[in-house]
Amino acid sequence: MTAPVEQPPSTRLAVAQRVPLWRDVVVLKWFTQVSLLAVVLAALWLFVGQAGNNLRAKDITIGFDFIDRPVDIQLSEGIDTLPNSGGRALWVGMVNTLRVASVGIVFSTILGIFVALSRLSNNWMLRKVGAMWVESLRNVPLLVQIIFYSSILATLPRTSFLDPTAAAGPLNQNQGPIHNWLHISNKGVSLPRVFIADGFYQWAIVILLGAIAAHFVRKKRLKQHDDTGRETSPILWAAGTLAIFGFVGLFIHPVFSFVGPIMGGIASLIDSLTIPMTQAVISIVAVLLALRWIRKFRTDRRSGSGHLNLSDDDWFRMIFAGLASALVIVVIYKWTGLSSWLLNSGQDLFRLAETKFNVDGAARPFDAMRPDVLKPGNFANYGKNGLTMTRGFAAVFFGVTFYHSAHIGEIVRGGILSVPKGQVEAASAVGLNRAQSLRRVILPQAFRISLPPLGNQYLSLTKNTSLAIAVGYSDIVQVGQTIYNQTGKALPVMSVWMLFYLACSLTISVVVNFFNMRLKLVER
Amino acid sequence: MSKLFKLLALFLSIGLVASACGSDSADDVTSTTAAPTTEAAETTTTAVELSQGGSLLDVVIERGSVNCGVGATAVAFSVIQPDGTSAGFDADYCRVIAAAVLGDATAVTFIPLTSSERFTAVQTGQVDLLMRTTTWTQSRDTDLGMDFGPTTYFDGQQLMARISDGFSGSSDIADLEGTIICVNAGTTTEKNITEATLLQGVNITLQTFEGSDEVYDSFISGACDVTTTDGSALVGRMAKHEKIGEWVIFPATPISKEPLGPVYPQNDSVWGDVINWSVYATVIADEYGINSSNVDDFLAEPGEIGRLLGTDEGELQTVMGLPADAFYQVIKQVGNYSDIYNSNLNPVGLFREGSANAPAADGGLIYAPPMR
Repeated sequence: MTAPVEQPPSTRLAVAQRVPLWRDVVVLKWFTQVSLLAVVLAALWLFVGQAGNNLRAKDITIGFDFIDRPVDIQLSEGIDTLPNSGGRALWVGMVNTLRVASVGIVFSTILGIFVALSRLSNNWMLRKVGAMWVESLRNVPLLVQIIFYSSILATLPRTSFLDPTAAAGPLNQNQGPIHNWLHISNKGVSLPRVFIADGFYQWAIVILLGAIAAHFVRKKRLKQHDDTGRETSPILWAAGTLAIFGFVGLFIHPVFSFVGPIMGGIASLIDSLTIPMTQAVISIVAVLLALRWIRKFRTDRRSGSGHLNLSDDDWFRMIFAGLASALVIVVIYKWTGLSSWLLNSGQDLFRLAETKFNVDGAARPFDAMRPDVLKPGNFANYGKNGLTMTRGFAAVFFGVTFYHSAHIGEIVRGGILSVPKGQVEAASAVGLNRAQSLRRVILPQAFRISLPPLGNQYLSLTKNTSLAIAVGYSDIVQVGQTIYNQTGKALPVMSVWMLFYLACSLTISVVVNFFNMRLKLVER
Repeated sequence: MSKLFKLLALFLSIGLVASACGSDSADDVTSTTAAPTTEAAETTTTAVELSQGGSLLDVVIERGSVNCGVGATAVAFSVIQPDGTSAGFDADYCRVIAAAVLGDATAVTFIPLTSSERFTAVQTGQVDLLMRTTTWTQSRDTDLGMDFGPTTYFDGQQLMARISDGFSGSSDIADLEGTIICVNAGTTTEKNITEATLLQGVNITLQTFEGSDEVYDSFISGACDVTTTDGSALVGRMAKHEKIGEWVIFPATPISKEPLGPVYPQNDSVWGDVINWSVYATVIADEYGINSSNVDDFLAEPGEIGRLLGTDEGELQTVMGLPADAFYQVIKQVGNYSDIYNSNLNPVGLFREGSANAPAADGGLIYAPPMR
């Protein structure tokens, strides 16, 4: 990485040829990098300092102490409606945001594909319905839509809940559009719920074995196809294998209850480890990983004749790999709590697995329940049996799902239309039927084109859930706003919001970019 | 290299811009009145001068109007009118300050704020004064960067529900089991109801909304079973509702103390004194029975009345930086405490007699220190 390496035997000519410092490419490169870093840091320092001065001038205190302090607020829904600290409240809000965003992404994609297909259909009616869906939904602001759905839900009947003769327990006959199955009122929508029951983990092992078997079946069928040239439909065979395993597993899963004691044994093993042992193991693993990476890196950089040619960037990467492992070692030795936390949580994990596998043989992998209504006082509420959407959740969910399904529909339609006509004609020329050409020629190319804008839709869907504040759904923005009104810490709460949305967006773009790379045209 | 210099120059200029506009983060003032541009510029001046140690009083006098933060739909306290002004008890107290400082009760720029926007508006200097049914609490006084003036209205939190759901005036917290209760976000009522139900072990669902209109819309549509806030606001809403007799307010004894009064930026005692004594002036005038129609008859009176009306050269007022006839203008243009109270709160069914807002002499809590 340093300046000229070759120092030919001391001739005056060679010395004269040495590049002066201010024109040396390596020196300039380093100088640029370091000074750029300095400028960025200085600018950041300037901004932070200025913001601090302004806040002090207005007697506004900043600080994150609200995260540990009690907040005395109650949230309308979430994993914990009575959070004991500001941090816990924000966490509940984050989970609520992720809940509505992830469900929204799945359903808007499914709906969007249907919209695109109906707009491309030859059926006049379908085509027009699709066009109306898109044009009406994407031209009305999302906020208006969310408030609209919330208002509609608010006008739903509430009297049925207040029937004084209605007993606690299962729904009585005069409730819900489909008695005992679907219940809609202004307290929300409640559906039957299918959920993972006690026997699920044993069944999961059967499925795991099935997946391994399916893998080999697929390989075998592929080989047959290569050998004979017959259509052997390997995917179908693999799926069939998995399905058979899954079905048989429903009956034989208690066989795997012996996994429980094994998990317990692992937990006891972890329990016997000491903190210095953990620290040593982690340090050794970190160093070994770094060394392995560097070795592999150098091997990759070696030319065919075995000559190692390393650029500055390569040196950087190798130094960083070394530094990363050193950092891991420093952290693990500085904070011993980290090691004990690792040990404890590892032990807890396996203890949990032990209890999950050690269940009664009669336990089912899945179970389902119909919605119920509880009447603790004078007022009825949905119980925990059904899958219940509150009014706020439903308004936000329908809002983002419908709005983004219109956009996604157009993106998918654009992708399909952008596949050149010649491709379809070529497909039919080689004898593919309509379904085959759609599956093997059109959709793969359409998907490649649609993916990047699709990712943008997912990003904006996630961010649009912050409109939940308009209908009182306890998402992170609503919870955060309540907290900073009670504590006055507006800037710290907003920085938590920004970090959270940044993390969400980066995660989504990493996932989308991963698929994008996979689908990219391979250019030679 | 030239690229590097460009970058450096860019960062420097960004830094300069940032430091130049750093102190006027309040220029995103939203106001319903006309001429928002000039107002934005003036608010900038406020922030700058405050940071240099001046008083808000000088800024307000120079600007020629008081930026007063009010509610948009607090019936009987501050309701925004079509012309951008506000009407109600709190709005009249904005006019009291304007009359005292500027001699003109109409020189008020009303800035409607939701309950969760209000404190940021005071902190950033968007408003000079907050008259928005704001409860005086210890944490708000100490932690939020603002000071509280004398209480103008002693209130208490109550709940409102439907008679058809089996609620009556004698219902209490224990009857709330299983209800959905709607409240405004960022209020003391939100905390009070959480604490009250927790202490009694009653399970409720608390639904918080940003604006009070959304709370009442949800209550009227039946999505919320119960709504809760300061008793006076509930009375105001009930009076506005067409079908009187459908709803009931309970419990008879409020579940909390809600002293409502003016709020102003912290550590500006010149401005704070002006607000405090303008409020006290309305109370003192009420004690002497001086109101807007008979104030001219008292101009020759000696003693405290003379000091109040400024006929003795108005020495006490000029020391505060106000005109000598400041409080005369308050009483003449707006009125005394009873005038303000009766004209705004009597129509919705709130009366001073027998309440905490009766004069101290009649067993109430409305009391002012002597003007001397």
